[in-house]
Amino acid sequence: MAHQAHAYHMVDPSPWPLTGAIAALLLTSGTAVWFHFHSLTLLTMGNILLLLTMYQWWRDIIREGTFQGHHTPPVQKGLRYGMILFITSEVFFFLGFFWAFYHSSLAPSPELGGCWPPTGIITLDPFEVPLLNTAVLLASGVTVTWAHHSIMEGERKQTVQALTLTILLGFYFTFLQGMEYYEAPFTIADGVYGSTFFVATGFHGLHVIIGSTFLAICLLRQIQYHFTSEHHFGFEAAAWYWHFVDVVWLFLYVSIYWWGS
Amino acid sequence: MSGPISGLLAFIFLMTDDRSRWSGCCFQQSTFPLHHFRSSADRVRKTVEMAAFGRISQTLLRSSLIQTRQLSATAAHGHGEQTARTWKILSFVVALPGVAVCMLNMYLKMQHHAAHHVEPEFVPYSHLRIRSKRFPWGDGNKSLFHNPEVNALPDGYEGRDE
Repeated sequence: MAHQAHAYHMVDPSPWPLTGAIAALLLTSGTAVWFHFHSLTLLTMGNILLLLTMYQWWRDIIREGTFQGHHTPPVQKGLRYGMILFITSEVFFFLGFFWAFYHSSLAPSPELGGCWPPTGIITLDPFEVPLLNTAVLLASGVTVTWAHHSIMEGERKQTVQALTLTILLGFYFTFLQGMEYYEAPFTIADGVYGSTFFVATGFHGLHVIIGSTFLAICLLRQIQYHFTSEHHFGFEAAAWYWHFVDVVWLFLYVSIYWWGS
Repeated sequence: MSGPISGLLAFIFLMTDDRSRWSGCCFQQSTFPLHHFRSSADRVRKTVEMAAFGRISQTLLRSSLIQTRQLSATAAHGHGEQTARTWKILSFVVALPGVAVCMLNMYLKMQHHAAHHVEPEFVPYSHLRIRSKRFPWGDGNKSLFHNPEVNALPDGYEGRDE
């Protein structure tokens, strides 16, 4: 049996980066083909390949870390850096959309009526569903913290309860936001107001779905005894991501829903 | 008088001294001048005394260190076994009731809206309902979350006679 004289993880060759890259190519070209030629073939293939890549790549990471012991403290530190850097890149992604919103709303052009909200736009009341959404996400931040401390104290049942509650709150947010999208008196095609609103909140909603999925995977892993009270980085990464999603919502709420109404 | 004081000083010394310097069980047995005792019985008694003292002090030392370690660990997590309970209480007493209050607020506002609903007048503004390119679905004229009751098409609300 070969031994390594260091604490780092030299990963075995894997096909998933290649399949991921192919999926990215299919998704981008597929979207263009859908827009221009109304065919969904490439896009569907890209989505299937993306899902397969994600499932198998992350399954392999779980195998390497939880079952084969490759995630030593230095390796875990690297994973922490990685997650922090990724979330930072997402912050910059959203910064762009906030820039677009403030560019358009701080100096509204004459075509919009020289005012914000533009003439003819009926805005959503920030103290109805958006306020409820805020309460839901803040509550889920509390429950995910409860889950984390439960893991650290070895409280198995409480961890499952707290995680489940967090995920349910995440689903509730998505459901409420979907209802809001349907009931909104304006659409994405309603000038720059519609564009900034739906692109910013839309990407946020996508991140809520991603975050909820990440937490759900953590729930499955917790049930299957993957996490220990000392070593549970997968959960911590999911919790960090979830807090990021919550913070982005708070900025969205204050900027677009409240100030922008 | 000097006995209890020296005992106390010895205790303090043991509690604050660097544990890593002591090895094994009894720290002074090998160096204590046993030959000072006249009888073997006395020597045995002294040895046992020191052994007992050593073991007791070791135990005291160990337990106080464990407590210190536990305390510092709990300080890092905010009182150890208590923290999960704290967040659980926060979840059920603050977070979820906050959500419930907002749900109630919403329900009341919806009722108010239903009672005082005003249909918005349609004005064919050129900066709204933009259709520079068809949507890639359906007839290309309706957004993804189109709601005929509240979303007008470029030429007006569907199903309304104007």
